[in-house]
Amino acid sequence: MILMPQKEFEVNRGIVEISGKIKKLEAGQGVKSSESQALVAEPEKCSPAGSFDVNSSTADEQVAESFIRQAMEIIVDEAVKKATNVQEKVCEWHSPEQLKKLLDLELRDGGEAESEILQRCRDAIRYSVKTSHPRFFNQLYAGMEPYSMVASFIAEAVKTNLYTYEVAPVFTLMEDAVLRKMIKVIGWEEGGDGIFNPGGSLSNMYAVNLARYRYCPDFKEVGMFSAPRLVILTSQECHYSISKGAALMGIGTKNVYTVPTDERGRMIPSALEEKIMLAKSEGAVPFMVNATAGTTVLGAFDPIDEIADICEKHNLWLHVDACWGGAAIMSKKHKHLLKGIHRVDSVAWNPHKMLMASLQCSAFLVRDKTSLLQHCHSARASYLFQQDKFYDVSYDTGDKSVQCSRKPDAFKFWLMWKALGSRELEQRVDRALAMARYLAEEIKKREGFRLVLEPEYANVCFWYLPPSMRNLPESPELWKKLHTVAPVVKQRMMKKGSMMVGYQPLGEKANFFRMVVISPQVSRQDLDFVLNEIHNLGKDL
Amino acid sequence: MFHRVSVEADLCLLRFIHLLMHVRADKRPLFLRDLNEPLIDHAEGQFFLNEAFKIIMEEVLSNGTDIKQKVCEWKEPEELALLLDLGVRETGEPRDKLLQRVRDVAKYSIKTSHPHFFNQQYGGVDYHSLAGRFLTEALNTNLFTYEVAPVFVLMENEVLRGLRQLVGWTEGDGIFCPGGSTSNMYAMNLARYQRFPQVKSQGVWALPRLSIFTSPESHYSVKKSAAFLGIGLDNVIFVKVDDRGRMIPEDLDEKIELSKSQDAVPFLVSCTSGTTVQGGFDPLEHIADICDKHKLWMHVDACWGGSVLFSKKHRHLMKGVDRANSVAWNPHKMLVAGLQCSALLLKDTTNLLKQCHSANATYLFQQDKFYDVNLDIGDKSVQCSRKVDCLKLWLMWKAVGSTGLEERVDKAFIHARYLVEQMKKREGFQLLSMVISYILHKPDFVNVCFWFVPPSLRGKEGTEDYQEKLAKVAPVIKERMMKQGTMMVGYQPLGNKVNFFRVTVFSPLLSQKDMDFFLDEIERLGKDL
Repeated sequence: MILMPQKEFEVNRGIVEISGKIKKLEAGQGVKSSESQALVAEPEKCSPAGSFDVNSSTADEQVAESFIRQAMEIIVDEAVKKATNVQEKVCEWHSPEQLKKLLDLELRDGGEAESEILQRCRDAIRYSVKTSHPRFFNQLYAGMEPYSMVASFIAEAVKTNLYTYEVAPVFTLMEDAVLRKMIKVIGWEEGGDGIFNPGGSLSNMYAVNLARYRYCPDFKEVGMFSAPRLVILTSQECHYSISKGAALMGIGTKNVYTVPTDERGRMIPSALEEKIMLAKSEGAVPFMVNATAGTTVLGAFDPIDEIADICEKHNLWLHVDACWGGAAIMSKKHKHLLKGIHRVDSVAWNPHKMLMASLQCSAFLVRDKTSLLQHCHSARASYLFQQDKFYDVSYDTGDKSVQCSRKPDAFKFWLMWKALGSRELEQRVDRALAMARYLAEEIKKREGFRLVLEPEYANVCFWYLPPSMRNLPESPELWKKLHTVAPVVKQRMMKKGSMMVGYQPLGEKANFFRMVVISPQVSRQDLDFVLNEIHNLGKDL
Repeated sequence: MFHRVSVEADLCLLRFIHLLMHVRADKRPLFLRDLNEPLIDHAEGQFFLNEAFKIIMEEVLSNGTDIKQKVCEWKEPEELALLLDLGVRETGEPRDKLLQRVRDVAKYSIKTSHPHFFNQQYGGVDYHSLAGRFLTEALNTNLFTYEVAPVFVLMENEVLRGLRQLVGWTEGDGIFCPGGSTSNMYAMNLARYQRFPQVKSQGVWALPRLSIFTSPESHYSVKKSAAFLGIGLDNVIFVKVDDRGRMIPEDLDEKIELSKSQDAVPFLVSCTSGTTVQGGFDPLEHIADICDKHKLWMHVDACWGGSVLFSKKHRHLMKGVDRANSVAWNPHKMLVAGLQCSALLLKDTTNLLKQCHSANATYLFQQDKFYDVNLDIGDKSVQCSRKVDCLKLWLMWKAVGSTGLEERVDKAFIHARYLVEQMKKREGFQLLSMVISYILHKPDFVNVCFWFVPPSLRGKEGTEDYQEKLAKVAPVIKERMMKQGTMMVGYQPLGNKVNFFRVTVFSPLLSQKDMDFFLDEIERLGKDL
């Protein structure tokens, strides 16, 4: 405990220096909290003059610096080099109970010595899944993008909060530059507005909120209690954030009307129109359509142009969830997948997925020049957004967000874009889709593998039939049996640590694998490996 | 400098370097056709990482915390945009140029870890937490499921448990959110869902008009959330505060009754522990009685003040917090865990959070997995991708222990009190929460709000345009400090009080000398006004 009479001594030194001193004294001795307490409570032990002063205590600065250097060495060796080495495991499976013991998670009164803390860093890396490993295909992000990673390190070190130009001059301008460029790529000739969010789900929710605000700005003040029932239209294959958003925003999941899709998972425009008419006939007010560019499971692209026609006709806000598929717009060859996107009202696009920026990097873009985002979200807090500042306060973008603290995520995309140029980003997208094409062709050639559908994007969905099932007639029993295969193969690959691939059922379809190829580190050999490995892991089933 | 992992890895690196030289020699998309080889060159990436790390160490961590260096390097937006050369182009840039960009970012960014950065409620640096943040970024983990985030699912659980224990709950639930505003929003949604579960599927049309109670000094996220959730700003009812910014319980009771009489259904009281500007703590025990009486959800926004729970000496400020239903607490503020580290803590043991937020996506939350799928916590969030925010706090907590964190909190109070004492000794510093409270009491928390009255205005308090003139002082001093780069501190008006400074002191790097510097500097910058 700190005792008041010793205040004079106490406050003349920073606590960091004290802990540095403690660390030095305790090095190699393990934890003794009583000692560290004693050290703090009895300042006469350590002279208050000079050595504890922030200005001149180089010794303690060295302790901190040496710790960070050692930690960084571990990170580079274990979490960067080893994690991307194909010879190493993707994951080291342990049951939750075992892992809890291995990690010794409990938080105690006393601190630990530096060597122990460094070991904890090693453990955290060892038992974490290596998402940058070339055999990690489990999610819609993968691979390591060194420039983006460096940017995220810098962002962590400078610790900037993106509220105002005052505290975030560099990142305010950078976010603006990246958003402008993305808007240009999308093709909104008159420009627009936007913001980076903590994930694509939030971006989709922002779209719902803006659409609602445009429909009736009064909802912001009075709420929706006496408003007509609002309806959102989206495809049945859309991301679940649309219904999470509807629940959170007081619209309700039942008021998300799902539009049927074709055999490839794309929204059927005529069915959309029918649903709009249905909602209207019920006395409800349809106010927005969410189209998906790159659905999560199948990688399908809703026909934006046709949907835009319908939205124009009915005066509905058209949002495109291009979190996953937005990257295709970087490619001359594949941008046709998003044809019509220049006509939509808003777009969610996550460079942290296909373009491999570090998590999180999610842009929300809106084709509006009337400051709708600001009007819709602002609260004009006088402690943050003072209007009598000495610079142009239109640079203070924080009030466009529903967050207060916000991380400078655009920088992670900016630095890699600077390093690689648009051309290399384009190459990567082209390559990922070429890889997906290759995988699909291999699947068609191989016995026991069956495509769920021809890939349109980087998602390749397929079943694996173990030899015992290959000659069975097509029947509900076969599908029932097949349904159990993927979970077992998944369990085995994780326990072995050889790779990670996701699986899921979809509608009536039994569990199938979904491969997504993203990382430019992945080559054909890795894809061949995946198919061989699935066979090896599942052939006895 | 770095240890070699294995011979294979070395061969890999050599191969990458070889490939790299190819790329640089002729910028053709040679590998596009050649799907048999990796496209990326990690050797170049790793070299860049090493070089960038040197810059981080020198420019950001060493110079950025050195009081002899500037806090900021002010440039007008237009000028800075040119200096940074923001445009992205068709082709990439060479290494040297990129490293220069890293240096520029370091140079022109505000040094938020600098001891003279008093501008916001985050600041300072903790090296253990920083190591945790670097590690988090390198692992690039997404916190959906035990499958992809085994370490962090367990760790988040443990950290939340540790925080809940300090609140006084042996059981409960919780989640890390991207900022305290989101935590407050979650609390609002949970309170609504608990009372009216049908809102999830049917929307607010199935509900009566709802009302929320909070103080006018509460964080603006309460208002933002009410708008976002379809409840509306008009249904946020402001309860009167005393002269230190604390909610008056009697007025709360009256306002609740009034709202009921106007056919609204009160459902939530959002209290604040540590208001943003004044650092006021609402009297939780009293408010809890009223919430009990009216059966309302009690949320405590302790984003800023929650850290007092570590201190035996100061935790009384939050007496009664254990009676709340939910608490939002940002260890990235006073505990210096690094942005973002925002926990929402819940007393609930009925899985309310998951029921309220879940969408049961089959591609992510498969039920036929080979482990206990209760560990797949992602569906408790309204996010899908979610960053790992627990590691930085966990590592720091492990390193310094609860006792070390307690010391930091206690020390911050000592600094704040020292600052107030010094202000009373100096001419021209006028404390906001004047007269009786500051003479009898010490400041509640580590916010110190004050006007600087320049010599020309001293003794003219009664004059006609005094307030108008005083309002102009803080913006000018602020402009001068930023242009000179000597320090940063925030100012704002509040209610009928004209622009005043708010300084928050809590960085573990701070010493008493920095407090003296702060006061000297305000005097220096404002003496001619």
